[in-house]
Amino acid sequence: MGTPSAPDVVVNTTGLTKRFGSTVALSDVDLEVRRGEVFGWLGPNGAGKTTTLRLLMGFARPTAGAIRVHGRDPWRQPAAVHREVGWLPGDPAFHDRLTGRAHVRMAARLRRSPDDDKTADAVTERLGLDLDRPVGTLSRGNRQKLAVVLALLGGPQLLVLDEPTSGFDPLVQQEFQALVREHAAAGGTVLLSSHVLGEVQRTADRIGVLRAGRLVAVEEMSVLRGRSLHRVQARFDAPVRAADFAGVPGLRDVQVTASTLRCAAPAAALDALVGRLARHRLTDLECTEADLEETFLAYYGGEPGGR
Amino acid sequence: MAAEVLRQTVTLRWRGTVTWAVGLAALVLLYGALWPSIRDQPSLTDLLDAMPEVLRSLLATTDLSTPVGYVQAEVLGLTGPLLVVLYAIVSGSASIAGEEGRHRLGLLLAAPVGRARVVLEQSGAVVLGSLVVAASLTLALLTSSVLFGLDLAVGHVVAAGLHLGLLGAVFGVLAVGVGAATGSRVLARAVPAVLAVLAYLLNGLAPLVGWLEPLRPLSPFWQSLGHQPLLTGVSVRGVVVCVAAVAVLAATAVPAFGRRDVMA
Repeated sequence: MGTPSAPDVVVNTTGLTKRFGSTVALSDVDLEVRRGEVFGWLGPNGAGKTTTLRLLMGFARPTAGAIRVHGRDPWRQPAAVHREVGWLPGDPAFHDRLTGRAHVRMAARLRRSPDDDKTADAVTERLGLDLDRPVGTLSRGNRQKLAVVLALLGGPQLLVLDEPTSGFDPLVQQEFQALVREHAAAGGTVLLSSHVLGEVQRTADRIGVLRAGRLVAVEEMSVLRGRSLHRVQARFDAPVRAADFAGVPGLRDVQVTASTLRCAAPAAALDALVGRLARHRLTDLECTEADLEETFLAYYGGEPGGR
Repeated sequence: MAAEVLRQTVTLRWRGTVTWAVGLAALVLLYGALWPSIRDQPSLTDLLDAMPEVLRSLLATTDLSTPVGYVQAEVLGLTGPLLVVLYAIVSGSASIAGEEGRHRLGLLLAAPVGRARVVLEQSGAVVLGSLVVAASLTLALLTSSVLFGLDLAVGHVVAAGLHLGLLGAVFGVLAVGVGAATGSRVLARAVPAVLAVLAYLLNGLAPLVGWLEPLRPLSPFWQSLGHQPLLTGVSVRGVVVCVAAVAVLAATAVPAFGRRDVMA
């Protein structure tokens, strides 16, 4: 338990709850996000990810519990909180007639940092965006790039990114991930939400998993990788029974049909499993590592594909 | 930068404000251009006499044969205030409610700018816009006065313009406030529009309906135009009442916006 004022705690929530009428959007969430880390905020659509970020920005008021950003209450002191926060909305909207550069100037002036065109130009160049075109003529991906540029203006300590990579092609996605990693490496903090693990697995140090408004898991990415599942398929020369493989710890989705076994096993269970397999005469054996998304869904459920 | 929200709001609205200002000026010039032919048509005053008393009372005029009576009937009686108030309501409803409806409010609210500043500076931008539109009408009236021989007193025309601008400001800031409190663009337009119609009718019908008379000072229309600025110039009380109304409305909008969840 860190104290809320610990210097390396950037975002801190205790019992954070938000209800809209009788709908519970967020229920009793305790969370700590620290300096220098990239935190993936995961869950199916409607799980409460955006609600959390709105509370964090002070756009909405918690029904119960507390949220602190750099030790401050964003509902009471939004201006002070925003000075250190760059925000990327889930559905960025702009003034269509104005150019990207006009947006950058306006945002920089509101931040009282008029020199920021350099930051903007650097980021713009890396992502490949033309700042001099009216925003109304930009594609969805390019609007998203502009939203990234605006979020990075003024060098905020904390980046709050709501589904940031939707609309990016793979190359831009890589560049964006590099930006995120660099931000964290320089002591910054990144909180990014997504409904698919694949979008954050390369960048995140930790993930929090939200389902129906409840925080169901907080996990180090390295731990999750260690738990990565293997798909095992074995064929024998004689019929086998499911009971033959019962009791292997961590074994999932066991399917036995006549003389074949299909199952999913974490790396830690492979040795025990192979021991059981060896009691029979094998005719064929396949073992492939499942991707992280599959592992993630196996442990935390959720709707594959999200949308 | 100080008043950056106001500056940006004015910049973003510039095109719309200029369009309204030019349109209103053109309309006033058109009325002015008709004056030389109207002046020589005594039958028009007969026409006015034949109008229902209610209509004459609403337009606050009895005489189309004098320039003041003509301008009162054609510009200050209905068209001018209607259009300035309409502009202000459209502009006010576009402020917080409009930006929120377009999911653009975050461009302002995610910046290190408190909500109070957003409300106050957006209100300020609406007041400025209303004054600009009214100033354009004033210039057009002065131009007509010279070109078409209306011979209006410059000071009185300026006074009428000031009162029109402040009248618009009252309903414009009300629109900002309703939008700030509810986030609904429909309400931000409907509430001030309905109140403006009621206030206009209250002012216009009070002379005919005895029980309305004591309520008449509640109407911003009466405060702004009831003293016939083209004849009497500036009404200090009218200015004070409207400025105070704007200040109270803006001050009320601040906590109303501060209490609410916004869709930024």
